[in-house]
Amino acid sequence: MRATYKGRVIVAGEASGEAVVVNEISFYGEVDPERGTLIDGRSIAGKVLVARRSRGSTVGSYVILALKYNGVEPAAILMKRAEPIVVAGAVLSGIPLVDMLPDEFFKKVRDGVQVEVKSDGSVSVEVR
Amino acid sequence: MELTREEEEILKGKRGEAAAKALEVIVKVGEALGADRLIPIRHAHVSGVSYGNIGEAGVKFMEDLASRGARFSVPTTVNPIGYDPEYPPEFNVDEHYIRGQSRILRALKAMGAQLTLTCVPYETSAFRSEILPRGSHVAWGESSAVVYANSFLGLRTNREGGPLALLAAIAGRTYYYGLHTDEGRIPRVEYRVEAQRSLDEVEAAILGALIGEQHEGPEPPALHARLEGRLAMRELSASLGTTGPHGMVYVHGLTPEPLPRGWRPEERVEIGREELESRLARLSPPAPGDVDVYFTGCPHMTYDDLRRLASLLKDVERVRGEFIVAIPREAYIRALGDGTASLLYSRGVKLARSTCLIVSPYRVRGLRVVTNSYKAYFYLSRRGAKVYLARLDDMVKMASGAW
Repeated sequence: MRATYKGRVIVAGEASGEAVVVNEISFYGEVDPERGTLIDGRSIAGKVLVARRSRGSTVGSYVILALKYNGVEPAAILMKRAEPIVVAGAVLSGIPLVDMLPDEFFKKVRDGVQVEVKSDGSVSVEVR
Repeated sequence: MELTREEEEILKGKRGEAAAKALEVIVKVGEALGADRLIPIRHAHVSGVSYGNIGEAGVKFMEDLASRGARFSVPTTVNPIGYDPEYPPEFNVDEHYIRGQSRILRALKAMGAQLTLTCVPYETSAFRSEILPRGSHVAWGESSAVVYANSFLGLRTNREGGPLALLAAIAGRTYYYGLHTDEGRIPRVEYRVEAQRSLDEVEAAILGALIGEQHEGPEPPALHARLEGRLAMRELSASLGTTGPHGMVYVHGLTPEPLPRGWRPEERVEIGREELESRLARLSPPAPGDVDVYFTGCPHMTYDDLRRLASLLKDVERVRGEFIVAIPREAYIRALGDGTASLLYSRGVKLARSTCLIVSPYRVRGLRVVTNSYKAYFYLSRRGAKVYLARLDDMVKMASGAW
């Protein structure tokens, strides 16, 4: 079954890709800006990064910028609440960013499922 | 967003192309977050200064702004770089790295930065000479400094990403949102720690992590706890900023601004002594013989801390293993002047000026590191080190064989 959720558009854009799900993320220290991989080895390049919240270094914005510069940026970033560090990074690198998605979305979304992001902030995903 | 006439004019290029571009990004970020206006700032602190942290993308971003004539319109301090300029090889950097780092410093200098190269801007004379009144709006990067500024200095800043703090320094403004607003600074949830005595820096750091991990904002957490001193305040700030998205903690008795009359927390959370102790026990160091590196100064140590360290080491012949202390250059100069630095050197301590193990490519993979910083624990663990926590006195005891 496909479910659609609505969030707040921070950087508008259309994107689709496989979900890579983490609970929280510090872009600095937990993302390799050259390879576009997470610290556990999963790639976020061209994928839809789902992170309930972020943490850590204010250098995170530069890591997002570097992901874009190196062509390994995520297709979109989806969050419960985006903070200024991620917002600045996404705005500067033009990566679609939607936040304030309902808790239900974060409960249902699974790693590897196909996610579609629309420019009005609606996110549709295959759920069980 | 409602803009003043002057802001409209900056956007149209009155203060040049770079200022227009800077303000445009700030407006965009502010609008995305729901801010309805901008606020003038009195000071900025730029993070993302180490070449290894920001790479070519970051260098180009800064050089592009500088070459378009960008100038900081408020006093602006900057974070540490990727190596100690007086001893680069120790930090595992090559020619390419040093060239990249020099380009960053050139661009920042051209824009008018004060090259403080420290993550504790509030401890520098460059910052102190500004004499900012409480409640001043600033735009700071560096998560630990943001928490410290909001919680202990009465300044107002969001957790600005490195590039945004830089753009705000150029524009002289940032978006009015979150911790800049009165209502955004009022806690809803209060944490309380039962403790007979003040918390030392490691206990404060663990507490910061426990709160950072569980607190859900956007309001800052409130905290009832006694902290041993400024070192504990810095370590609490650093761990809170590392483990969550929070830019402030309202510490009763230490946070300078009053809460609204009749304020009561909507929710109280008790953090048990056992909870603190069990986390601490999990991170307790191994036998001194198994330690490769002792590291302190995340955030940077101050001149006063160096004096304290010197007095702890006074009767020690020589430390065993690497003992690295990260400090601002300014603290080094003072310590050089009164003999503190030479005492530390004579005991085998290494002073890392204008850098640290986190922002430099210092080789830590596979090493066993003991530190008094949860922030250092967090980042160095992610670079393959095995990291343990101990307070500064205990680090000295371990390194001097008195453990």
